Order: sequence, then C-alpha cells, then structure tokens
Amino acid sequence: MFERYLEPPVHPDEVLREFYFTRLAYSGNRYMGGASWSVDFPKADRQFMIGLKRLLDQLDAYDYDNPRMATDPEFFRFPFLYSVEVGYMVLSPDEREHLRRYLLAGGFWVIDDFWGSWEWANLERELSELLPEYPIVEIPLDHPIFHCFYDVEEILQVPNVGNGRYGGPTWERDGYTPHVRGIFDDHGRLMVVINWNTDLGDAWEWAEDEWYPVRFSHYAYQMGVNFVVYAMSH
Amino acid sequence: MAGLFEFLFKYRPSLFEEGRLALAAPGWMQVAALVAGGALVFAAFTYRRMRPAGASRPERYRWLAPTLRSLAIGVLVLCLLQPALVLSTVVPQESFVGVLVDDSGSMAMPDEDAAEDGTRAGAVREALSGQPGSLLELLAERFQVRQLAFGRGAERIESVDQLRFARSDSRIGEALLAASDELAGLPLAGLVVFSDGADSEPAELGDALLALKAAGTPVHVVGLGRPRLTKDIEVSRVVAPRRVLEGSTVEVEVTLSQTGFGGRTVNLEVEDDGRIVNVEPVTFPRGSSAVTARVMFAGTDEGAREFRFRVVAQPGEELTLNNERTALVEVRKRREKIFFFEGEPRHESKFLRRAVMFDENLHVVSMTRQAANKFYGINFDENTKRFDGFPTRREDLFEYQGVILGSMEASFFTHDQMRMLVDFAVQRGGGVLLLGAHRSFSEGGFAGTPIAELSPLVLYDVEQSSGESRPPLIQDLQLELTPQGRAHPAMLLRDDRSESNELWTTLPSLSAYQRATEVKAGATALLLAETPIQREPLVALAYHRIGRGRAIAFTPHDSWHWQMSAEIALEDQTHERLWRQMLRWLVSYVPDRIEVETDRDRFEPGSTVALRATVRDAAFREVNRAQVTAAIEMPSGEEVEVPLDWSVERDGEFVGSFVAAERGQYRVEVDARSEGELLGVAASRFSVDNLNEELFGAARRDSVLRRIARETGGRQYGLDEMDGLVEDLSVSREGTTVREARDLWDMPILFLLLVVFLGGEWAVRRRLGMS
Repeated sequence: MFERYLEPPVHPDEVLREFYFTRLAYSGNRYMGGASWSVDFPKADRQFMIGLKRLLDQLDAYDYDNPRMATDPEFFRFPFLYSVEVGYMVLSPDEREHLRRYLLAGGFWVIDDFWGSWEWANLERELSELLPEYPIVEIPLDHPIFHCFYDVEEILQVPNVGNGRYGGPTWERDGYTPHVRGIFDDHGRLMVVINWNTDLGDAWEWAEDEWYPVRFSHYAYQMGVNFVVYAMSH
Repeated sequence: MAGLFEFLFKYRPSLFEEGRLALAAPGWMQVAALVAGGALVFAAFTYRRMRPAGASRPERYRWLAPTLRSLAIGVLVLCLLQPALVLSTVVPQESFVGVLVDDSGSMAMPDEDAAEDGTRAGAVREALSGQPGSLLELLAERFQVRQLAFGRGAERIESVDQLRFARSDSRIGEALLAASDELAGLPLAGLVVFSDGADSEPAELGDALLALKAAGTPVHVVGLGRPRLTKDIEVSRVVAPRRVLEGSTVEVEVTLSQTGFGGRTVNLEVEDDGRIVNVEPVTFPRGSSAVTARVMFAGTDEGAREFRFRVVAQPGEELTLNNERTALVEVRKRREKIFFFEGEPRHESKFLRRAVMFDENLHVVSMTRQAANKFYGINFDENTKRFDGFPTRREDLFEYQGVILGSMEASFFTHDQMRMLVDFAVQRGGGVLLLGAHRSFSEGGFAGTPIAELSPLVLYDVEQSSGESRPPLIQDLQLELTPQGRAHPAMLLRDDRSESNELWTTLPSLSAYQRATEVKAGATALLLAETPIQREPLVALAYHRIGRGRAIAFTPHDSWHWQMSAEIALEDQTHERLWRQMLRWLVSYVPDRIEVETDRDRFEPGSTVALRATVRDAAFREVNRAQVTAAIEMPSGEEVEVPLDWSVERDGEFVGSFVAAERGQYRVEVDARSEGELLGVAASRFSVDNLNEELFGAARRDSVLRRIARETGGRQYGLDEMDGLVEDLSVSREGTTVREARDLWDMPILFLLLVVFLGGEWAVRRRLGMS
C-alpha cells in the first residue's frame, strides 16, 4: 500500500522511539480513487516532525512518517494518529473495531483537511458508527488543548497551498467557518480532535514556501504542537 | 522424687533448705565417739590377721569387709550423736497467711484433672471449702487466714462462695501489692496464690515481686490447669496497619497457634462489620505449633473499622473463645498528594496518570519538561503548590506524600535538590517511585549522586557509546514475580491470589533501557525479567525502606502497553489496578506533620492509655516548643482535654495519659500550636472492651508461676501437695516463730545404710571364706 511513496531512510519498526507521527491509512474511499488518506503524504508529516522536534526538543520522536492501517498488528503501539480527507473516508468493520478500541483504550486521533457540509456528513456518519455513544462537540477555546504549550486564542482557517500562495479565498466548497470539534470519553478526555474547514497539513507541508503566508504555518505548527503535548499528557 | 526423699529422710527437702543441721547429743557422747573410733581400729586389726581362703581371691578384696564394718559403726556413731534439724516454726494462730484466688473467667476452663468437676475453679472451691482435710482447714489450724479474690485489684472475701470466676482479666502484680497492703503490719508467714498464671499486665508483675522480696514475704503458688491444652487453636497475634487509605489493600499478619491440629487446614475468616471480606485457608505444619498467615483484603468503608480474624471452631477443640482477635484499622478517606516530575513527554507518564486519575484517594500532579526549561503542569489546584520545574525548598516538596521521578537526567538537578529528595524519603517519610527511562537510574547518570542512595537498585557508571544519545532498548521482557512479589499486596492484580499469579505470566512483554541486575542489601525484588543480553535477570521492580520512607524502582518504560495492547481486553483493569495499588502502597504509611498514637489500639476498661504525639514544622523538623493538647471524645460523647508535655527523650515527642473507663470507641484529636499559631491537628482512635487476653495462651503458664515463687523465696505446688504447702508455711522465717529441733537419728536412710553395710560385710566374708 505504501510502496509508491518515498521510503524513510530508517523504517519505523527498526528504531524505537517514544513518539511517532502516525498517519491513518484507511482502506475505503468514496471519491478519490482509494488513496485520499495520503494527501500531502509524506512531506507534510516529515516537515511537521522537523518543526515539532525543534519546538519540543525533549521529545524522543521518530524523524519520519509512519503510515499505519488500523488493522496493523503494531497499530496500538502508536497512541497518536493523524488523518486527512476524511470527507471521503470509509472504514471497514475491522478497521472500525480496531479504531474504536484504540481510542477508548487511550489513543488520540487528529482529523484534518476536509471541507464543507457534504464531507462533514461523511465523517459524521463514520464517527456515528465508530463511537455511537459519544457526541461530537465544539471544543471551547479555554480547553487545555489550546493552551498546553502555545496559547491559541483564535481558530484560524488555514487554506490549502493553492489558495494560500495566491491570496485566494481561505475556504473551500461551503466550508466558510473553521471549527475545532472533538469527541470526549466518559472521563472528559479528548479522544478525537476534528479540524473542519481548515488544512493544517498543507501549512506544515508548505511552511518553507516563501509564497505561503507564514501566519497560517505558524498557527498550524502551534496547533500541531499542542495536539502532541495534549496527546502525550492527557 | 520428692516423695522418695521424704520417705528416706523423714522430712521434705524444703525443710532441709529452710533449717540447719545440728547434733543434739550431750558431751559424754564425745567419749563414746572415741570408743567407737578405737573399735574401728580394733576391727581393722582383727581383719589384718585373716587371709582369704584360696589363692585365687584377689588381694584387694581384703579391705572390703573391714571398710563395710567401719561404715556400719560410723552410722551407729552418727545416731548416737543425735542429729537434728533446727527450724523456725510459726506459733500457731499467731501468724497470718494471705490466700489470693484468681477470680477471672479463665478459671472456668475444664482442664484440671485434680478437681471433681474437672475445672480450675472447682479445684479452688475444693481446696478452700474448709472441709476436713482441705487446705483451708489445714491452714486454719495453724494460721490466721485472709482470703482475697483478684482480677483487676484484689478484695477480701470471707468464703469461697463469693468467687464468681467471671472477671475479664487477672492482674497478678496488682493483686499481690493489694494483698501486701491489706496485710501490712501483721506477722505474715507468706502469701498463697491460686492461679493459672494468666496475667493481663505482665509489666506490673516485676515491681510487685521486687516489693515483696524486699519485704521478705514468700509467695507460694498453686498452679491450676494443664501446662498444655490437648486440642486447641488460637489466634495468637494480629499485626495490622493502624491506618489505610480507603479502597486500599489491607495487609495483615495473623499468627495462629495450635496443639493437636498439626497438618490440619483451617479457614481463617476476616470479618468487617458482620461481612466476611476474605477467607484464607491456613495449613498448620506438622511438628510446629505456630504458623503466620498473610491476609489481604480491601478496606472499603471509611471510618474506624474493627476487623475480626477468626478460625472456625474445630471439632474437639477445648477452648474456642481464643479463636478470634480484633484489630482496629482506620480507613481514611483523604487524597494523598503525589508529585510526578517528568523530563520529557512520554506515554508512560500519560497512561500512569490516567490509571490513577479517578482514584479519589490519590491526587497526582505532574510537571513535565516539554522543551528546555519549559514545563507543563497538570492537575495543580488550590491544595497543591505549583512550581516551575523541581522545587528548591523543603517546605514545597515535603507538602507531598509521594514523588515520582521519570525520565530526567541527573545533570538537571542541583546537588541540594537531590539531597532534598533523599531527605524527603529519609526524614519526611515520603515514598519515592523511580521510573525506568533512557534518562533515569544509571543510564541517567545518577551513579554516585544522592539519588543512588535512594535507589533500591545498585547503580553503576554508564559509558555512552559515541554518537548515540540513548542507551539501547532491551525488548521482549516477560516479567515474572519473585516469591516476595507473589505475596506483595501491590502485585495483586486479581482478588484471588492464584488467579493474579497466573495473570502475570500472560501479560504482554515490555522493554527497558535499564540493565540493573542487582538490588541493594535490604532491598526486595518483586519482579524480574530474563534478557537475551545478560546472564542475570533484569530487576523490573524492587523496593526498600530508607529512613522513615520507602523507595520503589520500576525499570520497564512502557507498562502503558498493558493498557493499549490489542491483547488486553478494553474493559480490563490490570494496568489501572497495578498503578493504583503501587501508588497507594507508596504513600500508605507516610507520616503527617502532626501525629498522635496510642500504645495499642485496644484496651481493657480502666486501662491507662498512653498518648504520644509527634510535632513537626512544614519542613518536617521536630518542634519542641509547642503547646499540644489532646481532646478525647469518649463513647458517650463526652469530651475531655489532656495536655501533652514534651517527653524530653525525643525531639518533637509529646506525651500524656488518660484512664479509659467507658467501653466503646474513643477518638483523640491533637491540636499543636507554637506561639499561638496552629501547627496542625491529628486524630487517632482506639477502643475499649473486654479483651479476654487471658484466654490466649490459656494453658497453665508455669513460667509466670515459677517466676513469682523464685523471686520471692516461695515455691510452686500442685494440688496434691497441699500438706507440703502448709508445712513449708509453718517453717517460715516470717511471722511469729519459735525454734524447734526435729530428730533425724530415726531417719529411715540411716537404718537402711546400717542394714546394707552389715549385710554387705557378711556377704563379703562368706564369699572370701573368712571366718
């Protein structure tokens, strides 16, 4: 499944680190020909890790990308998970079972880069099958996830690279307002963070591009670092 | 033996010990003795002229016959000298004897063969009935007898009918002093104590015996009951913690003794307020009278709980009232504070915190270094002081009961901070948990630092290989319980111990950066793991006591897999339970700044309860200049105040006492102030009830009885030796006495010797053919 991508110099299974930026490689897809999980992969992942390791210099992290399917036998070794283009995501029953167990056992899932009401409806449908008893709620700005490392006072809409570079609109489709929503477990712990109508991944991927506005990259890194700190402490 | 002595020597050995030997013969007898000596010379001369018939007779037998004859003559001469035993004997009815009778419940034991009804009490009734031939009648012929019944204290009684044999305890020392006071000033020949040797207050006995010895009053004891019960099981000792956190595992050591049940398995039940909370099968080893069982159960309900430890009565058991003991354990609902200091973001610290997050009795705050000099604190509130990094003041750190040290290298800390952490355990009595990571233990550079003192593991210098910032990880560690681990409460992952031990063998493997294979002397390893790279197993979990506190080392760095692993069911609570138990155990016995204790948890009514408070300041330095008051709430609700004074013997120790008369549970609250400022308060509980202590070790305690007699110049008697008792009292040096010489020339032993010597001489002469 991952052969067509640039292999990292050291395979994640060959080194043992505390933290891996693990991308969920889901099998089903409604629109994009079967690989919507891999949008911005692996550059966004690797570039985020460069920034993350500089900002969290005490974190013992694997330097590269780590795509995993939920059914991977090693999947549970990586309690931090990142997904994109979930507007087209379809989970198999096996994937759903593993992912549900993963989240309830203590895993943390960051969802990013999906836009508008149609894509939201798809994610909502998947989540309602995955965690039917847990509602999706708006995360208030005073929640620790906005303050555990950086103080994020405002939710920005991070545009894709095309729109960002050329000063186009920050929204896509009918996704005009960015949201950070989440699913909490029975004890108030965030299991899932949903970044809707925004594309943090592109801001990480194109952070070095002089045409991409720095304030979006800045925000995306702040959010990303906060997600990792939260995931590693809550 | 004593009977044979008395038959041969006419009198009992004790009379020979009391009296002195003398010759009663007049002066002319000296002449007779000279004549007898001449006769001896003559006898020898007559034999010298004789020769044995037959050459085969050995020459050495020649002297046998004259020797025997000489001895016979010697015996006759001795009789002529009229040997006598000179004794001081009491003048009839001029001296007094005090008879003290144990009136306690243990006297109802049916193990006295000499009594008609088979009980100890029956034996006393018979001896003191006043019937012809009874001890009382024999005594009354010669003495003024004063009878006293004792339990706690002693009172005069006129008749044995006043005895009830139902008092809850027997204090022999107190009774002896009371009798001594009662009979003070009277010519006292001695005291006679009827007892089974059960003594509720052994501490008092020594003083009493010393006083009686000084007064020269012999105390004779009549032992009642069998020295060993035939069939009995007894809960001899219960060692339980005085306080536990609510929901914690209470670990109690119960010692069971038995006679006649060797090899039998019995059920030891633990009862909490009428509810059986554990049943532990205990097998008595053959050839040993006692066995110690370790019982574990959950202290679930808040408050002062009276846990009963009971062995169900076995068929044929002689005494069943000693099958149960009670321990008072205060189950406290409070949140012990633990400071978790972590050097880097780690899943282990997240999952560990999460495992104990909803434990109402643990409040874990964490400070994690995310980047150089940037810390993220979690869970701090108004009760927990927040600081950036690691505290630098003792007062700040010592506010906590426990400290967890994660992946933080030694070079981060100043020497003073490390020293302070050692003092946290040693002086403050806190618990320290050292977690395995690539920056901890030897791998974190702690060898040679104060933290090495704290570690239960032996640390060593680690040389980092060039280019690698971390030590290599050892994987696939399958943790195994050591024998000590199998018995440890923190390692109990299921209520059933064998189920728990089985579970340990199935848990997913872990990994570690540490290579520690050696625990320090005095430390205990609870978990080990074989590794492919070392011959010795890795020590995965070990602990030791250090000063007042304790330190635990857990070397694997990823126990969180026991929560996340796909092999573990989602609802499985193994990970949570392990860490909850471990942290609770870490802080279970951590002292507070102000503490109050009683010397025991249970007392008899009327006992003096010794109160001891310890007062320390915020840095846990003992305070001597303090005003300490104990408010005691009695079972009736009434409250009394007892001021406590500095003991002088120890810094920060304040003592006082209080007499607890009411039955029930008492609460003591101590308030400590210094210059009007409140230093703190502390509370403790104790209960007062009939403890029936004398039913434990209920067989006759000869050691106590022998001690009483030996230290006062008295003797111990059996019920069949009452004549001897009266006779010994009659020849007492105490009381109103006269001298009396008793003839010894007619002792059967002298006649017997005469017959033997003369008969022997005759036989020798016949044998040697001498005529």
